[in-house]
Amino acid sequence: MLEGVRIEARVIPGEPVVAFGGFLDGIQRSVVASYLHVTIPVVHGTTAAAVRSRQDRTLHTWGRGPLVERALFLPAALAGRDVMAALGTAGIATYDTISADDAVTGRHPIELIGLARQAVQGRREQAEEQLAAEWCRAERTPLYVDGGIGGFADASRSPHAVGVVKSHHTLYVAAEAVATVAALTAGQRTSAFVVATRKRTRVASWYLRLRDTGDPLGGLVRIEVAEAGFDAARADLVSRWVLAEREPVALPDPRWQVMAYGIRDCEEYLRAVAG
Amino acid sequence: MGEILGRVVATERRPNTPHQFHFWTALDSPVGIGTIVRVEGTIPVAGHLPRIFGVVVEGLSYSDLETPLHDVLGSDGEPGRADEAPTRRTEIRLYTAAVLRHVPDDPLQPVPLGAVYLASEADVAVALRMDAYLTPGANTGIPIGLYRAGATASPIYLDADFLVGPEAAHLNITGVSGLATKTSAVEWLLGSIFAHFPAKKGSVAALCFNVKGPDLCFLDQPATRLDAADLELYARLGVPAEPFANVEYFAPYTARGYSLNTLRSHESLSHNVRPLTWGLREVLQYAEVLLNKDDVDAKADALIDFIRERVVDQDFTDAMLGGPHRVQSFTDLERWFREVLRAMEEKNQEAWRTHHVATIRKVRNRLTNISTRCRGLVTDDGTVSDLPWGAFRDRGVYVVDVANLEEDAQDLIFARVVTQLRERLEKRTLGVDHVVVFVDELNKYAPSDGPDTYVRKMLLDVAERGRYLGLVLFAAQQFRSQVHRRVVGNSGTALFGRMDADELATPGYATLALATRTKLSTLDKGELMVRHPHFTQPVFVRFPRPAVLSGREGVERFPQAEEPTLEQAVARALRPLDRTITLDWVKETIALADEDEVLRARNRTLQVRPDDVQAYFRSQLKRRVAAEQIAARTRPAIRTAPGDDPYAF
Repeated sequence: MLEGVRIEARVIPGEPVVAFGGFLDGIQRSVVASYLHVTIPVVHGTTAAAVRSRQDRTLHTWGRGPLVERALFLPAALAGRDVMAALGTAGIATYDTISADDAVTGRHPIELIGLARQAVQGRREQAEEQLAAEWCRAERTPLYVDGGIGGFADASRSPHAVGVVKSHHTLYVAAEAVATVAALTAGQRTSAFVVATRKRTRVASWYLRLRDTGDPLGGLVRIEVAEAGFDAARADLVSRWVLAEREPVALPDPRWQVMAYGIRDCEEYLRAVAG
Repeated sequence: MGEILGRVVATERRPNTPHQFHFWTALDSPVGIGTIVRVEGTIPVAGHLPRIFGVVVEGLSYSDLETPLHDVLGSDGEPGRADEAPTRRTEIRLYTAAVLRHVPDDPLQPVPLGAVYLASEADVAVALRMDAYLTPGANTGIPIGLYRAGATASPIYLDADFLVGPEAAHLNITGVSGLATKTSAVEWLLGSIFAHFPAKKGSVAALCFNVKGPDLCFLDQPATRLDAADLELYARLGVPAEPFANVEYFAPYTARGYSLNTLRSHESLSHNVRPLTWGLREVLQYAEVLLNKDDVDAKADALIDFIRERVVDQDFTDAMLGGPHRVQSFTDLERWFREVLRAMEEKNQEAWRTHHVATIRKVRNRLTNISTRCRGLVTDDGTVSDLPWGAFRDRGVYVVDVANLEEDAQDLIFARVVTQLRERLEKRTLGVDHVVVFVDELNKYAPSDGPDTYVRKMLLDVAERGRYLGLVLFAAQQFRSQVHRRVVGNSGTALFGRMDADELATPGYATLALATRTKLSTLDKGELMVRHPHFTQPVFVRFPRPAVLSGREGVERFPQAEEPTLEQAVARALRPLDRTITLDWVKETIALADEDEVLRARNRTLQVRPDDVQAYFRSQLKRRVAAEQIAARTRPAIRTAPGDDPYAF
């Protein structure tokens, strides 16, 4: 725990404050383009990430524009050397989805598709990480990151990156604290705690209720900021930044209760440019 | 090439066509309805990169919301909160443009995706095909106004060949009253024509019918309200900001006959105001104008023809009538009718020269009644004061003031003046090669419904055939939909000022986009939408205030003279011919004459315009012997009776 000894609901002092200078998001799309040797799926993946910076209340694409990548994702060892060589000669970017040790024949095609999709997701996360790092180096205003920042090597240690997690498949509190999280009302947060996993940087985190919806997890987000320099005042201040982004409402996106408009704009932009 | 303004966009639902395309712009772009833009294609067609010019006819704006309700919910029902949000909601400006021109013209293809630029001045000339008639040495451009969009300010020219003829001709102006559109536009355009009409096309004059108030009564007086913007427009369009140099006014007398029936009656403006009076000869040809079909059946028509061809202006003899008759005036005609009827009664005849007595009585009644119905215009005695037929001057403006006349007199004036113009232009004896005739309130004179009047037939004839003669109709009305289709349809050029919403809802405007119609209903003073044969789409322009005194200001500055006495009326009428004439001289001269005689003498003097005005005027009055003092005769005294006379009493 970074605040107190157990998860508690805390009222955030002060009004929402507009502070974010940019919004980072990424998208990915993957489709099975064909099958090699009858059972080996070839997945075409598209990833894109961008930062939309805010100037005079209007959003613009930041920096050197969106990072868009289109590539084939397939298990190289199973596809065969000839196929990979032909793709390379044709100038088609490829990513291997499986290590040589796991390249045993007879793998289930659906399992292979799942691996390809993970690889696509990895490319998207890399693009996001790259942009987040560039922002934190170049800018002095906070960046609103859609999702957690623990996976970012540099940005997760920067005071300028704020991760906002919308989905709660995993609750980072003990069972007895779930009720406390679920009982948060709009404008309240939990006490902060550390999120630490093997592959991710340790970050300070807390839950924040954006809107009262009647659903225990509705309108609830989890904030991630760098652990270094964290204190209760920073949790309150960052919470006020995030609360300020409740308007304009991100409708008609179905996730509008937890989505900032800047993130919706970024997604729409990426859909437009990545196709 | 300029800064990119927008980008052509096409979707399956909203595709581009050869005649229409869509593009989006930044929120702060200077594009609006009526803006002319240029599209640069990027893929060569037949070796050429296509360039497309278009005019914006529709605009759309929308956000990323699916329903307005989301905005309400997002703002908790408080409209002000949307402005407090840290981010502006995404918004689009999507425009639809109608294609003005493809370069090259062939092959005609749908508008490609490409960058959109604001049209430059040179682009505007190409887009509106003005480049075809603005070529040095063969320039037939007549400035109509200035097109403005963003930093572009481009003069728009009409083609004189299509405005004054012979390729097309005529101009029609529509706009609501009271917003200084119709009359102002015509005054401005006439000035522009006079300044730019190509010398090689000959001479041009204008004849304007002043049909209401003082609208056209001060065309020779300078405007008082031209501001810097107006003067800049005049300079940019190459038209001098001056009133018309050669203007003559014509108006009939009032019914009383003392003064002219016009609001331009101020003495300081009387130098170029002339009476308009006609006698029997001038009127009889247009009897049809004043006589309706109930009046003139075939029999009456035959008698009128007989009088026109065999009686008027010649020595008419008939065994039954005695001595020769010379009919030159309505008074003569009445005398002739009386003689015919008297002779028929004496001989107990029911018909004379195949004309039944009832027909003769009917025609007598209708014809001799004309001078009463059109009193002030038609004279009993045949005095004529007319327009200067045969001596029209180049760049001259002739205003016929019919504003205060009865409908019959107005119709008669229209019919005769326009017929004379047509006949004389046909014979090339008018004095100029082209005449622009301006008629306001066209929906009154050439309505789309109602009886087929002589005036309407005449206006139709001018609209359909005038361009070959150099007779050009500039007509204005508030409701174009109420004007005969053939009149407006034959107008090569059409101007539209601010329009009434009800009028815009009529089918005639269905070809205009809704946004264009909306713009028409909100046009500012001095703004016009122009249709011209060279322009494939209407274009919006701004024109300056006319350089002449407006009617309203004119009557304030030159108030109408009070109804004069007979002596004052004569003095005012004759003084422009002889500045030495005084009121006392008039009083002394007409002291013994009766009113009709004085008015007749005045009219004849004005008609003849003699060198010695006073002598001529005096000669038109009956001579009267001066009174003489007769000395009293001395009468012999009555002899008194002697005192011794016994019979005396």
